[in-house]
Amino acid sequence: MNERNDEKLRELLRSAVAAVADTELKQDLWPRMLRKLDEQTIRASWLDWALIALVSVWFFLFPEVIPAMLYHL
Amino acid sequence: MNKHPYLRAYLAGIAVPTMFMLIVLTFFIVARFVYNVPVAIERLLVFPMAVVPNLWGVWNMLYVRLDSRHRLPFGIHGAVLVLLLAPIGLTLAKALDLWIVTPTLVITVLPVGLIVYYLAWKHIVGFFNQLLRVG
Repeated sequence: MNERNDEKLRELLRSAVAAVADTELKQDLWPRMLRKLDEQTIRASWLDWALIALVSVWFFLFPEVIPAMLYHL
Repeated sequence: MNKHPYLRAYLAGIAVPTMFMLIVLTFFIVARFVYNVPVAIERLLVFPMAVVPNLWGVWNMLYVRLDSRHRLPFGIHGAVLVLLLAPIGLTLAKALDLWIVTPTLVITVLPVGLIVYYLAWKHIVGFFNQLLRVG
């Protein structure tokens, strides 16, 4: 009785879930991944570098602002 | 990937302050327990741990909500958040009796805060938004 039920269940599962015929990748995805990573590279302008330098100098001249800055981060 | 844009925006927004939290936490713990700086660390950490990350998330959601005509450049949008956070932080610091944040110090830190936020939003939050296809 149990075996018959199992067989019936197997058949039902086979009919419900379509078999996947071709599981191989059609192309190498790694070059696309590399392209995507290249697109997302951070590019800073000269203004951004100038601002980074300004903030560094500010922290150097007024180190007492560092805790207040960290408090707001 | 097109579903739940606000949830993705929130997650991209909170990612940066959550990561920075480790640095902030380390700085204050070292100051308190190694150098014995007399500061109530449990009161101090309420703002950077609870308020700041959530506001970053909500601010990024707001950016998604705004239509393109009303959007500022992304870095500027992030920098504006400082103008909201600074008074909240100051009020909370006063309420919790924290001496490390005073009005004078907030005014001194404001220009730096604007620059740091501008850079962080433009480059880091912008990167996460791009990664999660937000906006």
